[in-house]
Amino acid sequence: MNKFFQAAALTALCAASAFAQGGYKPPTGPAPKLPDGHPDFSGVWQRPYTPDMTKDSRDQKGAGELPFTEAGLKEWKSYDATQGDYTGQCMPFGLIRSINSPDPLQVMMNDKYLGLLHEQNSWFHVVKLNAEHAKNPTPTWFGDSVGKWDGDTLVIDTIGFNGKTRLDTIGHPHSDQMHVIERWQRPDLGHINYEITIDDPKTFTKPWKNTRVFTLRTDWDIMEYSCEENNKDYREGHIKGVQ
Amino acid sequence: MNAKLVISMAGLMIAAALPMLAHHSFAAEYDSTKAVTLKGTVTKVEWMNPHIWIYLDAKDEKGSVTKWQCEGGPPNGLTRQGWTKDALKAGDLITIEGFRSKDGTNTCDSRSAVLPDGRKVFSGTADDGGPNGKKQ
Repeated sequence: MNKFFQAAALTALCAASAFAQGGYKPPTGPAPKLPDGHPDFSGVWQRPYTPDMTKDSRDQKGAGELPFTEAGLKEWKSYDATQGDYTGQCMPFGLIRSINSPDPLQVMMNDKYLGLLHEQNSWFHVVKLNAEHAKNPTPTWFGDSVGKWDGDTLVIDTIGFNGKTRLDTIGHPHSDQMHVIERWQRPDLGHINYEITIDDPKTFTKPWKNTRVFTLRTDWDIMEYSCEENNKDYREGHIKGVQ
Repeated sequence: MNAKLVISMAGLMIAAALPMLAHHSFAAEYDSTKAVTLKGTVTKVEWMNPHIWIYLDAKDEKGSVTKWQCEGGPPNGLTRQGWTKDALKAGDLITIEGFRSKDGTNTCDSRSAVLPDGRKVFSGTADDGGPNGKKQ
């Protein structure tokens, strides 16, 4: 058996143990609590990759047809990834496209902050808990996020987007007026129930949402992901960037 | 479990589990109507983010050799599935099934790699907006 075969055999075994559908089972038990009694979302989480927020996939319920405004529909119909793809430049994915990515997410949390450590391009985002939004926040890729408790549900409210991102890999648009509400629940040790609502009056006639289940991966650590390391696609001109 | 069965399982499981081309959309670079099958010898492997690259000298039926470069999955995702940076090396004979880039260069998105005896040991996925995606 040569090295390639050995690698494939190892791959089979690892795949069998590493994926829920292949045998991995998350730990069972009650949801852990913070000292203040609220659920603690800390852990390394496997999330459903969501390249198209309208469609259903494993552990993810899509939104279906989106309620575009006239301007939003025009923007969506005119989108052509071949004419520029900001993620292909390794620019920040932004809040939504990061949560949609296939790579794991590590959550670190105390009673004041929820830290989101995205493996995708090694970006992070901090949510201030029991706090108010900054006044007139400077528009950014990930926005200004604050979290408040609704019982055992953490409700994260984010505004202050720069409007330079897209919602998903397929390219659904949003504007700088987007307002995002995420609801996080931890029903047990091994899972997070996640709901995200997109409210963007420039792009959509009404808010719409998408729901998912995250799975705790006690067998994973997040790894460094330097998008710029060898971005041949962009460097050699196989894809275009955006200005 | 014999070796053939193990390899078959590997192909199936990787096909189901390989992380997608998330760092940019498939449609931004590749043409889902231009499938390509390349048979040849690996000349170099770049095991780096955001995606690995496999370079090969592809030989056609007449024996002519053409240099190709094919993009694979992200190294982090491949590592979680048991791959290492040494799993594929210069000199290995492989067949890559994928899709050509839109710019006409000898660049492809690798969806699977097949050994000379036909056993599939490596595969990409289609949920990155590529084949089966909406905006291709």
